[in-house]
Amino acid sequence: MKNNSNSDDFLLIKKAQNGHEGAFNFLMTKYYPRVYASLYSYTKSREDSEDLTQQTFVKVWQQIKTFRGDSAFFTWVYRIAINLAKNHFVSSASKKDKLNISSSDIDIEFKTFTNPESDLMHDQSLKKIKEFIDKLPESLRTAFTLRESDGKSYEEIALITDTPIGTVRSRIFRARENILNFISKELDDEA
Amino acid sequence: MKHSLEEKLSALYDGELNTNEVDEILDALAKDTDLQKKLSQYALVSSSINNSNNIQSIDSKKKSISYGFWFSNAITAAATVLLTFIAINQFEFSRMGEDISAKNKLNIAMSSKEAKDIVSKVEENLVDHVMHVINNPDLDNSTPYDVDLRNVGYNRLSSDGRRFNKGEKNFILRIEKKNLGINKVRYWRHGDKIIHVVPLADGRVITIYGNIDAQSAIKVANSISK
Repeated sequence: MKNNSNSDDFLLIKKAQNGHEGAFNFLMTKYYPRVYASLYSYTKSREDSEDLTQQTFVKVWQQIKTFRGDSAFFTWVYRIAINLAKNHFVSSASKKDKLNISSSDIDIEFKTFTNPESDLMHDQSLKKIKEFIDKLPESLRTAFTLRESDGKSYEEIALITDTPIGTVRSRIFRARENILNFISKELDDEA
Repeated sequence: MKHSLEEKLSALYDGELNTNEVDEILDALAKDTDLQKKLSQYALVSSSINNSNNIQSIDSKKKSISYGFWFSNAITAAATVLLTFIAINQFEFSRMGEDISAKNKLNIAMSSKEAKDIVSKVEENLVDHVMHVINNPDLDNSTPYDVDLRNVGYNRLSSDGRRFNKGEKNFILRIEKKNLGINKVRYWRHGDKIIHVVPLADGRVITIYGNIDAQSAIKVANSISK
């Protein structure tokens, strides 16, 4: 697999390719919302999207050794997801087959639970989060935004902001913590 | 200690941890459900922030298919979702000249399996292209650094030869020799940005990604095609 700037997840992918379940779990957790989002846009069905997302990651696990790093990891996962979604629509029998995957073929656990966080991301809440981010101290906001929205590496952010990489890492972490605390507080207020 | 682990988790989420530290975090994740939850939350926040349009809240159904890995509850509840990107429209871009995919169109008209495969391939190539632009906006060896768009009012940002702006409008430009099999402008919404893919008659494809409407993007493409 190519180790280039194209792959932030190089180490994790490499480990997952060698059978490291924890590394695969990390990748799955990281990309689950994006895959779900893509599938929802395609299927317009929550249930189908959830089932297809799970099938996608089963397939990703089964095929991860074939990932060569020619594209970004998410692009590769996305193609698997969309191909599954296409097949889902093409095959009239697909509904019956959904998630009919033998646990002996795979070794992944998917558990879904209701969770207050799923209710959090209403437009209104998202707007509040964005407003909160806008109010973060400038140093945190800049580092976080350059990373999350612009996809800059820590090294690039360090250059742009003229700060050491360790400081960048700390600022991004603190920004995330602030945002999660804010979300948690929002949930408490709504409860 | 906890703080340090969480900071490393954040760094690993961004792909910025060295090999030794990666192992440390993966080991900790295997045992620590709070840490798993935190990772899920990072993913949710990230996905939400980057896909602010068309956000949906999903009521996760109660379901449990049990087998081996940890897979944090919070993430599956990631039944939160947002449109990553969808094709929102397409229209003829006749000003760009000849039909560059006549062969494909004939095949489509024939509705053969081959034709369907071609259509499917075209879509796949397009998806690959768009995803590549989203994931690697700066990874581009084709676009010249000296494109001048002042005739349509856009200034090149000094820090990067391929970024342009005019007031609120700003975008990244790519010009590539690439046959994506399309003869129409296609555009996708991604968060608050739009990706316009414009095929030119000379075989080049212009991709304009940013806060710019279709009409303005076409003006830009038109100016490059001349």
